[in-house]
Amino acid sequence: MLRFSSFLVSAAVLLVTADAARSADRATYQVLDEGAAQLREEFNAAKGSVRVLFVVDPICPGCLRGLDDMNKDLLSKTNDPHLQTFVVHVPRMTPPPKAKDVPEAATLLHNDHVRHYWNPSGSFGEELSQALGLKVDGEDVYAWDVWLVYGTDAVWDGTSPPKPEYFMHQLWALGVTDLPRFDSKVFAQRVHQLLASIPKP
Amino acid sequence: MSEKARVIGVTGGAISLGGFAAAVGLCCTVPWAVALFGVTGAVAFARLAFLLPYAVVGAAGFLALAFWLAYRRPPECNDASCAPPNRRALRWFVWIAAVFVGVLSVVALTMQVTLV
Repeated sequence: MLRFSSFLVSAAVLLVTADAARSADRATYQVLDEGAAQLREEFNAAKGSVRVLFVVDPICPGCLRGLDDMNKDLLSKTNDPHLQTFVVHVPRMTPPPKAKDVPEAATLLHNDHVRHYWNPSGSFGEELSQALGLKVDGEDVYAWDVWLVYGTDAVWDGTSPPKPEYFMHQLWALGVTDLPRFDSKVFAQRVHQLLASIPKP
Repeated sequence: MSEKARVIGVTGGAISLGGFAAAVGLCCTVPWAVALFGVTGAVAFARLAFLLPYAVVGAAGFLALAFWLAYRRPPECNDASCAPPNRRALRWFVWIAAVFVGVLSVVALTMQVTLV
């Protein structure tokens, strides 16, 4: 009986500890305003670093798989402070995701230099679409499930984000275009090339 | 194995594969995967998306086999011990399953393509 009780207590302690660890893993996020001012400020503050920008829906399984791939092939393998990651979560699914879904999705990325943003209006995807020139048959294509990398010199000085050095997407609507489809290994290579070009002290 | 069990088994296989295809196709457009399985489960589900066309082809193959079993000519007998079974109900079953699998496959493929 005593042994059974100790087992129950140990199991409860383990569960509580595991839950606490999971909560600690959950990243915080900022809510983006219409002009994405916080993101622009932090993006520009990281000038001199290679910056990657991911735009995802936090409950879209394809986007989540993309985040997981990026984590496996890029972010979990380095903790270089010269690589700064910005993840903007936008609502695209129906019914739409809620703010509480962002920290859950954020648990997929394991790197000290990742910042998460929640853009409840989804306006960021429209602005980014303009910057990237995402069009099919003259129609704008909303920019989500897109994966961008910026060089060390990129500055965001307009209203829309700057043009990236390179970007990939998982958008079926763009399937027939020659824009590169998502491949986390190729993306990671591009990032490492840019990181290698930074002069070491 | 009896003829009836064989037809039901093969048709069940077609329905299962069709259901799997629809679930995988829907997983990327309808956000139920995260609600049901959590983030990790949804990622695992999304990794199965490449199986969708194979599942649809497999379901079609199972259906073809079910039709062949349901409509093939029964073996000839010299005595009365193997009187031809009444296959009317089985054929109805296969036809209904075919419509169901067809709908599931269309849903699966349409949902996958309309992801924008």
